[in-house]
Amino acid sequence: MSTLNNAINASASALNAERTRIEVAVSNIANADSTRGPDGKPYRRRDVVLAADHAFDAALGQAGVSGVKVAAVVEDQTPFKRRYDPSHPDADKDGFVAMPNVDTPEEMVNMMTASRAYQANLTAIGLIRELVNKSLELGK
Amino acid sequence: MSDINNDSAIMAALGRQMTQAVAKQAVAAGNLANLDTPNYRTREATFDDVLNGEMQKVKMTITDQHQIASSAQSTPKTAEVDGLESRRDGNNVQLDRELLTMTKAAADFAAAQQALSAKFRLIRFAINEGR
Repeated sequence: MSTLNNAINASASALNAERTRIEVAVSNIANADSTRGPDGKPYRRRDVVLAADHAFDAALGQAGVSGVKVAAVVEDQTPFKRRYDPSHPDADKDGFVAMPNVDTPEEMVNMMTASRAYQANLTAIGLIRELVNKSLELGK
Repeated sequence: MSDINNDSAIMAALGRQMTQAVAKQAVAAGNLANLDTPNYRTREATFDDVLNGEMQKVKMTITDQHQIASSAQSTPKTAEVDGLESRRDGNNVQLDRELLTMTKAAADFAAAQQALSAKFRLIRFAINEGR
């Protein structure tokens, strides 16, 4: 059972990580036009860094069931896009506005892969639950 | 060789099959969890060494009917899988492969479970004096 628990924990950690990815992608899309952040600069696109979490290994001994964890949420340091819009309040003296470095199609793709991965892990949890139910039937 | 009538040997074997199915399931779940982790390599639970070792033992001590039952609390090991195509981020987890592994393991588990509960039914039948 404890192994099945590890498996479910691994899948659950993935659900958590994928949810974070979706959240970050949504925040990126929502701020695609935010030219003023708390520091007065345009919004910088954020990226989730995932890392294998080997904390689950110890419990299972040899077999390496590794979950996943969000190692960091980093800001994308690519330069801001510049758009010519002299009437914009944040335009510089040449009439250019620094826009966030968000690429909406890219965010959509990130969101889709995250949501597919989420679904896959949900399916995995369903399959594990099948095993647990089966083993509970043994006493019948 | 009376192994075929040895309930405990058969039950132990079925138990091992279930344990292995669980280990496979767990490792595949770990792979799926790391579907998007850069540089993660697909792992697989391996039992070949254990099986070969057991075959050797059976050959050597074929007259000892307790050998199979008493040996092998088989500990699964994991190894990286060769020959899978890597994506650009160095990750080579394939969604369909892992889900297939999990489904297969679930089926293996169910089969062993069916056989084991049939065994239990027989025992209960005997305990209840055929009623």
